[in-house]
Amino acid sequence: MGKHVGRKFAAVFLAGIMVFSLAACGEKKESSAPGVDGGVNTSKHEVVTMLVLGNKPSNGRCEAMLEKLNVILKEKVNAELKLTYVEWADWQTQYNVQLLSGDKSLDIITTATDWLYAWENTQKGAFMPLSESMLKTYAPKTYEQVSSMDDWKYCKYQDQIYFIPEDHYTQYTNHGLFYRGDWAKESGIGNGDIKQFEDLGTYFKWIKDNKADVIPWDVAGKNNSGGLLGGYLNSKTENIVIPSVNVGNYEFWMGVSKDDPFTIMSPYMEGDVIYEAAELMKKWNEEGFWREDVLNYDGETREAMYAGTSGSDEHHSQTFYSQIRPNMDLKQAGSDAKMYWWGMENNNVSKPLKTHGAAAISANSLHPERALMVYDLLRNDEACYRLINYGIEGVDYVITSDGKLDHPEGWDKSKDSLDANFWCGRNDDLELQDVQWWDGTKDMIENYNKFAYENPYTGLIIDKNSVEAEMSAMASVLSEYIPQLAFGKYEDPKAAIDEMREKLKAAGYDKVKESIQKNVDDYKATIKK
Amino acid sequence: MNVKGRKQELTIKPYKKPLGKVIRDNKVLMLMCLPAVLFFIIFAYCPMPGVYIAFTNYNFRDGIFGSPFVGFKNFEFLLKSGQLWLLTRNTIFYNLSFILLGNFLQITLAIMVNEIRCNWFKKVSQTIMFLPYFISAVLIGVLAFNILNYDTGALNTLIRETGGNPVKIYSMAGIWPFVIILCNIWQQTGYGSIVYFASICGIDSQIVEAAEVDGATSLQRIRYIILPSLKPTFIILMLFALGGIMKGNFGLFYNLIGPANSQLFPSTDIIETFVFRTMMNQNNFATSSAVGLYQSLFGFLLVMFSNWVVKKIDPDYALF
Repeated sequence: MGKHVGRKFAAVFLAGIMVFSLAACGEKKESSAPGVDGGVNTSKHEVVTMLVLGNKPSNGRCEAMLEKLNVILKEKVNAELKLTYVEWADWQTQYNVQLLSGDKSLDIITTATDWLYAWENTQKGAFMPLSESMLKTYAPKTYEQVSSMDDWKYCKYQDQIYFIPEDHYTQYTNHGLFYRGDWAKESGIGNGDIKQFEDLGTYFKWIKDNKADVIPWDVAGKNNSGGLLGGYLNSKTENIVIPSVNVGNYEFWMGVSKDDPFTIMSPYMEGDVIYEAAELMKKWNEEGFWREDVLNYDGETREAMYAGTSGSDEHHSQTFYSQIRPNMDLKQAGSDAKMYWWGMENNNVSKPLKTHGAAAISANSLHPERALMVYDLLRNDEACYRLINYGIEGVDYVITSDGKLDHPEGWDKSKDSLDANFWCGRNDDLELQDVQWWDGTKDMIENYNKFAYENPYTGLIIDKNSVEAEMSAMASVLSEYIPQLAFGKYEDPKAAIDEMREKLKAAGYDKVKESIQKNVDDYKATIKK
Repeated sequence: MNVKGRKQELTIKPYKKPLGKVIRDNKVLMLMCLPAVLFFIIFAYCPMPGVYIAFTNYNFRDGIFGSPFVGFKNFEFLLKSGQLWLLTRNTIFYNLSFILLGNFLQITLAIMVNEIRCNWFKKVSQTIMFLPYFISAVLIGVLAFNILNYDTGALNTLIRETGGNPVKIYSMAGIWPFVIILCNIWQQTGYGSIVYFASICGIDSQIVEAAEVDGATSLQRIRYIILPSLKPTFIILMLFALGGIMKGNFGLFYNLIGPANSQLFPSTDIIETFVFRTMMNQNNFATSSAVGLYQSLFGFLLVMFSNWVVKKIDPDYALF
């Protein structure tokens, strides 16, 4: 009898499970296809989490904005948006660990093929493949925009789309050194315009000799262990960095030149430019152009430049015209901040990849459809776009009579900024011109447009699986030599480089080179088609 | 006949309590054990099959057991980078120094504290020695940088002010073993001496008093009574420590040296810091696990070996 009851109970229980799972199936089917009226089932409220990069803001502005934004999102797609930050300290690791950990709460992931390991993470299975029908259904406006520029091909791995490119947004992210025009002028550089790499030395030397409390280039070597080596190579050779195939933290593999981008090499292994670079860095180190213990220092060096205790700072053009110049004008009036970009003397500047910013959906996302819908709104809906990018009108920003973006009286960028860091779907159609950006921005961009070349490697995928052991071994060699070469710590840089080259060879340089060359050849063949 | 009877007697099985009764009789003790047992099951035994990741080309869509098997390929880079010997040597050197110097100082300190007769002074000095243990390695790193750095460090400022030549400590690989060992000892000695102090307190006071009556000086008491009775504690702690000899104190090393200053690596890079850098740079879990496995296996063999040696010398002191 007792047994009987037990069996009955089990049967009912099982039946219950089956009904439940059938129901679950049905629901899923419903939500993955458009409804009868062309709409989508959004009856269940979902929280969509977006991974962004940057330091989590603590001024409350971002939360206030999200509150407003979520009202709209709830009304339109019954969802709410949450942001998860990967902070700048150790961001490379944090980012990859976050993705690889398989966190189920993540939905939208900010990524990039050049600086955020998009292909690696695609290969490792962190992203969900996005079918065209899915994109068409849930992110129709985005789909149309990207299709109109025929850019999906850059986001495909084994014929599957894995992320949405931020391809309709103009920016220059070529790196260089920011310096103060006033001091450069005093140092005797014509008009205060640094035009070639060696001029930096003149500028640094003048600061060292004339400004007792200023470090010519205060840099945190813990976070920038490559120093100026890459910049020197960029300015003194025709080589183009191949993105997304860094060895360790270093941009190691390059194409010979813009006329011959598909022959690969590495200036760290071939040629004499790296010798010159290392010798120069040794000289600069001896002159004390940076802290003696630079490799153990990790202070906020950009703030140091704003405070007038550092003569320069290193980053890219967009940082210069959106932050450095306006902030310097405010905090060091008359400093006339300028930028010397790598490759200025030989016009070796490439446009950013169209996938320098991209949005992926996490492979473990529980509601990818809703995530795409939210993304589509953020990227294309004016109200949402302004909220996520600029904040609340009247509090965070105001629109001037001529339709430009300004901020209310008393708004201080370093204290009140929004920092929602939506860097995976900005859109020139909705972007407002910022009156607080440097007014030379437009000229600077137009100047770049004259000589910058399209990056020849957009869409190139490197398969590193077969050479992973060799790459790891090479990375370990580089992590030993590059920081010391970059900050001039070797007594005899030439001997150190020769030693490094030998060790890299032993670690499998030739095998890796052959493998990457093959990928590049394949890519060359596909774009020729 | 007689012989046969005796044989029968010998083969009689002793009465064995059934397991249920053993559990019932020791309910409370068992219950007290439970958290520890659970802890080890969950955190030490359940994850063990995961070492398989070290033999795969891991991708997280297929998971640990679905990823393709690649044999010893993940161990290759250790050999290829040519660092294995250096890392192993450094790790063992540091840990041996920590264990030997540390235990020596801990015992000395425990005996010294034990000899203090003034009670409040005893308490105060113990507390003060205990404090460094609670300072995080991050802070130690910051403190060290602020004392030792070239441009603004306290030490070099002092040297400069007194007319000397400042020293580039962060470029001198040779000095760092001393700094690291010093920091470790500063941090661990007070804490470690507690165990020894406790076993000193456990010594039968009658023996000590008898020795006193017989006219033993305090040095003689230490030499002939206290030290010998600390031997078992010392050996057990030593065996435990040897098991972890391949495991470095990552927090301390990483915060003192950092990820970028490769000038110091030859004398300060240990397996942990190397693995960490590798994982940062390549975001590769499989190779990192490979190194972890190498460490554990080596540690395991070392414990077995030293236990075997101890057993040969005096079975009473062996762990098992």
